[in-house]
Amino acid sequence: MSENKKIEIMWKILIFCLFFTVINSAEVVNKNVINRKVVRSIDLNSQLVKISGTITLENAGKEAVGNYLIGFERDLQGSIAYITVQDSLKTPLKAGRVAVVGAGTTEVFYNVQLKSNVEPGKTATILYEVVLTKALPPYPSSITQKEKQLVRYFGNHYFYSPYYTEYQKTDVLVSSRAVETYSKLKPVSQTDSTISYGPYEKVPAYSIDHMTIHYENNAPFLTVTRLERTIEVSHWGNIAIEEAIEIKHTGAKLKGPFSRYDYQRDTSSNHHSIKSYKTVLPALAHSIYYRDMNGNISTSSVKPKKDYIELELRPRFPLFGGWQSSYILGYSVPSYPYLFRKSNGEFVLNVRLLDHVFDDMAVEELETNIVLPVGVSNIKVKTPYEVKRLPDGVAYKYLDNIGRTVIRASKSNLVEQHIQDIEITYGWPSHMLLHEPVLVSIALFLTFIIVIIYVRLDFSIRKPEHAKKD
Amino acid sequence: MSQAGTKKGAVSKINKNVAINSLIVFVVLLLAWVAGFASRLFAVIRFESIIHEFDPWFNYRATAYMVKHGFYNFLNWFDERAWYPLGRIVGGTVYPGLMLTSGSIHYILHLLHINVHIRDICVFLAPIFSGLTAISTYFLTKELWSTGAGLFAACFIAIVPGYISRSVAGSYDNEGIAIFALQFTYFLWIKSVKTGSVFWAVAASLSYFYMVSAWGGYVFIINLIPLHVFVLLLMGRFSNRLFTSYTTFYILGLVMSMQIPFVGFQPIRTSEHMAAAGVFALLFAVAVLKYLQSMLSKSEFKSLVIFGGLIAAAVVFVTVVLLTYAGYIAPWSGRFYSLWDTGYAKIHIPIIASVSEHQPTTWFSFFFDLHVLIPTFPAGLWYCIKNVNDERVFVILYALSAVYFAGVMVRLMLTLTPVVCMLSGVAFSVILELFVKDEDSNSHPDTENDETSHGGKRLYDKAGKVPKIIKHESKEQDAIGPNLRSIAAVVFVLLLMLFAVHCTWVTSNAYSSPSIVLASYGSDGTRQILDDFREAYFWLSQNTADDARVMSWWDYGYQIAGMANRTTLVDNNTWNNSHIALVGKAMSSNESAAYEIMTALDVDYVLVIFGGVIGYSGDDINKFLWMVRIAEGEHPKDIKESDYFTEHGEFRVDAEGSPTLLNCLMYKLSYYKFGELKLDYRTASGYDRTRNAVIGNKDIQLTYLEEAYTTEHWLVRIYRVKKPDEFNRPRIPVANRVIKSTFVSKKNSKRKKGVIKNKPVIVKGKKPAVKTQ
Amino acid sequence: MAQTNVLLKFYNEYSAKTSRKLKVIDAYLFYILLTGIIQFIYCILVGTFPFNSFLSGFISTVSCFVLGVCLRLQVNPENKNQFYGISPERGFADFIFAHCILHLVVMNFIG
Repeated sequence: MSENKKIEIMWKILIFCLFFTVINSAEVVNKNVINRKVVRSIDLNSQLVKISGTITLENAGKEAVGNYLIGFERDLQGSIAYITVQDSLKTPLKAGRVAVVGAGTTEVFYNVQLKSNVEPGKTATILYEVVLTKALPPYPSSITQKEKQLVRYFGNHYFYSPYYTEYQKTDVLVSSRAVETYSKLKPVSQTDSTISYGPYEKVPAYSIDHMTIHYENNAPFLTVTRLERTIEVSHWGNIAIEEAIEIKHTGAKLKGPFSRYDYQRDTSSNHHSIKSYKTVLPALAHSIYYRDMNGNISTSSVKPKKDYIELELRPRFPLFGGWQSSYILGYSVPSYPYLFRKSNGEFVLNVRLLDHVFDDMAVEELETNIVLPVGVSNIKVKTPYEVKRLPDGVAYKYLDNIGRTVIRASKSNLVEQHIQDIEITYGWPSHMLLHEPVLVSIALFLTFIIVIIYVRLDFSIRKPEHAKKD
Repeated sequence: MSQAGTKKGAVSKINKNVAINSLIVFVVLLLAWVAGFASRLFAVIRFESIIHEFDPWFNYRATAYMVKHGFYNFLNWFDERAWYPLGRIVGGTVYPGLMLTSGSIHYILHLLHINVHIRDICVFLAPIFSGLTAISTYFLTKELWSTGAGLFAACFIAIVPGYISRSVAGSYDNEGIAIFALQFTYFLWIKSVKTGSVFWAVAASLSYFYMVSAWGGYVFIINLIPLHVFVLLLMGRFSNRLFTSYTTFYILGLVMSMQIPFVGFQPIRTSEHMAAAGVFALLFAVAVLKYLQSMLSKSEFKSLVIFGGLIAAAVVFVTVVLLTYAGYIAPWSGRFYSLWDTGYAKIHIPIIASVSEHQPTTWFSFFFDLHVLIPTFPAGLWYCIKNVNDERVFVILYALSAVYFAGVMVRLMLTLTPVVCMLSGVAFSVILELFVKDEDSNSHPDTENDETSHGGKRLYDKAGKVPKIIKHESKEQDAIGPNLRSIAAVVFVLLLMLFAVHCTWVTSNAYSSPSIVLASYGSDGTRQILDDFREAYFWLSQNTADDARVMSWWDYGYQIAGMANRTTLVDNNTWNNSHIALVGKAMSSNESAAYEIMTALDVDYVLVIFGGVIGYSGDDINKFLWMVRIAEGEHPKDIKESDYFTEHGEFRVDAEGSPTLLNCLMYKLSYYKFGELKLDYRTASGYDRTRNAVIGNKDIQLTYLEEAYTTEHWLVRIYRVKKPDEFNRPRIPVANRVIKSTFVSKKNSKRKKGVIKNKPVIVKGKKPAVKTQ
Repeated sequence: MAQTNVLLKFYNEYSAKTSRKLKVIDAYLFYILLTGIIQFIYCILVGTFPFNSFLSGFISTVSCFVLGVCLRLQVNPENKNQFYGISPERGFADFIFAHCILHLVVMNFIG
């Protein structure tokens, strides 16, 4: 997968970042770089805020420039879950989080390593995409069953940048025409479901002008508060995957009573409550189960599509704002698309660290456990992005007398773009495949032997007794 | 195949014959086990591996607690989530045998790293034990009669509905393992009476100990065995064997039974256990007299023995009575009284009477649960009486007492079932011996067993083997003509097949519903699952505060605790009648009076079951009169049953129902907003399908509560009790509104009359025994 | 008079007829009986405060007595026809087995 190649894009955990700040000298802003043209589009259709932009930068100085800083203002709403930067040919660029001289620690900067240095007087184009979670607080924060769900977006009319910007323009896409209010920094226009800001010209560095958009958003505001994914590899040709998922409706809270009568009468599809959602499983998935602590949830339907399986999940009850639910979804896939044998006899396992739960998902906490077969050695783990490795565990599955190694990793704040593969390389002797069958047959054999001996002994006890009696 | 083998073996070597016999016995028992196990899996296949009903949920919760926290913590478990605000000492008020059994199975399997979830163990425990029951029944019947009868009995007990009703997969209750313990104890007892061996007596007392730890029905054993001994004494069948086995059994059983915390000192304090002590003393007296007699060889001793025995019995009886009056020995408990006087419960303890399991058994359910065994069982009994010996006296007494008890209480049908199976096994075995007897059987006593074992096997081999036997028999020359022979054989085989078919049918239709998941069938035969209970309980568990207190009728207490993990006020343990009465009072008062009770009890949510939308008959409105009665028992000033009836003495929910009913909390909570709901185009809005009536109070307003959640089919409705600051808005006083809504209801006075009909409208596969009537 | 006569006759019969093995058992039984009586007197005089301890003590005495009597019955050659298949050795083994169980339970119960 090409995604593996753009793995290098990483961002540090906050603590690590601060640590970095103290040790390394912070990045200095090169005043000679200017933004010639910036075009942004902010997508507010779902519960996530997706900002994508095209920056044309120019080197106005005398020396070649090798890096570029993308910044986010101090009171940025929500948190950055994912950032990707590409050059004009769509090749990914390295972007790392850095501190910048002259800026506080609450501003967030990413240092982009350009592919080739920009010579003085030349321009270069980069594209970036950022996904923010929790950036759309509902307002009002609690509503009754019949009311619409309104949310607000707080942003910046300007493209926040440590550089001077010549020309910029921003389009905001909202999910419906029902926009209550929006801040108006001229020139601004609203067409259909798009609000266009700009063009603004000659904007100095670090400029902020607050943008507020208050609009109706009936997209499911569903957050996975915790996702525990267990992948169990068997060399018999099967990989079992089980996901324990806790979800919560993080939109406007339900105020007052819930009325089943009104709920049944209201058949309109865009209600803020969540009745069901679709999840995507690999095309080869089989033995799918969907249950919770009280047993099966009988309301789900499986639709096989051409190259995936679409599973429509209905929680036991519709989710209103502030309600939560949890369930376990499990399935099996054959191992051949995921497990390979290298020429040196080592095995390579490529499985997803995170998989699709629903469209535009936001995952707060992920913990992935990968259970390797019995007797693995020499484990090497390569993750697509930085994750927190938890200490390896030991799991005992059916009839294991030796435990299995469990690779554990966790990460917080993830979105769909994090659906990438983790690569695990390990050595494994193939005779271990027969380990358990042999054990079981030995045990059975021993049982029979004991029974035979017992039957014989039974006779031998009786006889002396009879003999004694006489 | 095996028959030919047997023949040859009989001719050539006895040794081989024995081997083949034991092989047949083994195979038949194995098949019985497998068949019994398989026929109990309907619920798992149709629904899923889930705990059923009410009590099993508590057992499951307790087991899960024990597995998680260890045995000693379980014994000291104080459950503050039940009986709020009182709490319940679970360790001391539960028979731990069931939890221990599944807990130790879980432990052993996990030692072997077979990672079975404790729920699956709990679900499949009863079917597995049914196999063990079949085996112990086989041994017991074998001791009483013959191997053939034993095999018949084992096959019967494996599939008889009367036992299946309590042991389907998922019905994780004490009875499931207790019947095994019961049969096994009886087997060991018979064995010890036969041999007089201390070893068997000790084994019997150990098995009795297991029974005590498993089920309150152990009282049946500890009364039946002394009764057996006593009757043997009266019959002049005293022997040293009897003395050895009974005294050893009793004294060890006594000290062991006191190890169970729930039983405690009851075995020496309560009247239920005194008969055993009396017989123990009597036996000693008799033994001493016998000994003296043997020493002195005086002729008058025979009369002296009887005289002395009677004196001793009288002395014991008088002592017991005196001690009871003095307060040392607790008199019989209420449930025990209700065994003797069926009317007792109805008058004194409505809470016992309210449970449908405690109703007297109808003839229908006898037939339903036992089918062909009912007519054959007296035949077996007659054979036993005819050829009486020490052991058969026991089974006769067992049969008589069990028949009586089963007639008194539906629930005790369970104790009758094993003995019916045994005696029918005897009857079938004798009859088949008579009609299908082999020519050689006169010379080889072993063969008769083989014949009957074929009969037992035939249940499973179905018709395949039948013609062969008949053909073989018809060659014979005997008093009974060949035609008669074959007709009889065919008739009996047909009977057995009918029985098997009936058992399967009953099991699949009546006893294999988890009752927390309902299935309804549409007009086109499609099956639809109604999962409302779990929907509601899961909602509670996810979206209420962890310490939220839920008020509901006691039937649902265990389920709420087990599935929603929330604090309940009352549950199926029903140990505190006044607490239940308080909940009943809250449910049957008007909203403001109920609110006072609910704030006093810190209630956060109220849960009611309402079947009016789907026609589920076991809902709270149908149980409502019991709530009223129980409340009336404790609070006669505030609640009067007659207030809830119309002038004509009917219980009606439509416009003609009594105003008290139409404004009580239960009515309001059940029908809130229901008045606006039109189920289909033909019926008026607010048409209750369960009671076939349009409700009388359509405009229900709630002041102190608000709807928190209602499930998809309105089966479970949860209301949140408002905090005092939430309803302070100036509104019309409650009293006025009550009058107004009564007035409104008069509009519908011409509606069709609505007497309760308990027939389920669409819900199928529901157990007829709904907990509260 | 008649009573003493009867008792005397009983004693004579006993000394004459009873084998030595049985006499040992009888002595044991007598000892147990005495213990039981002492326990009973104690409980009447002092009270039964730790009721489970008293019970376990008393019941263990009674059971010892019962088991002793059973052993005596099984060992007695006169009863041989009644206890088919139980040799004195088997009886003694059973006796030991029952005692093991009994004392395990009693130890648990005594607290």
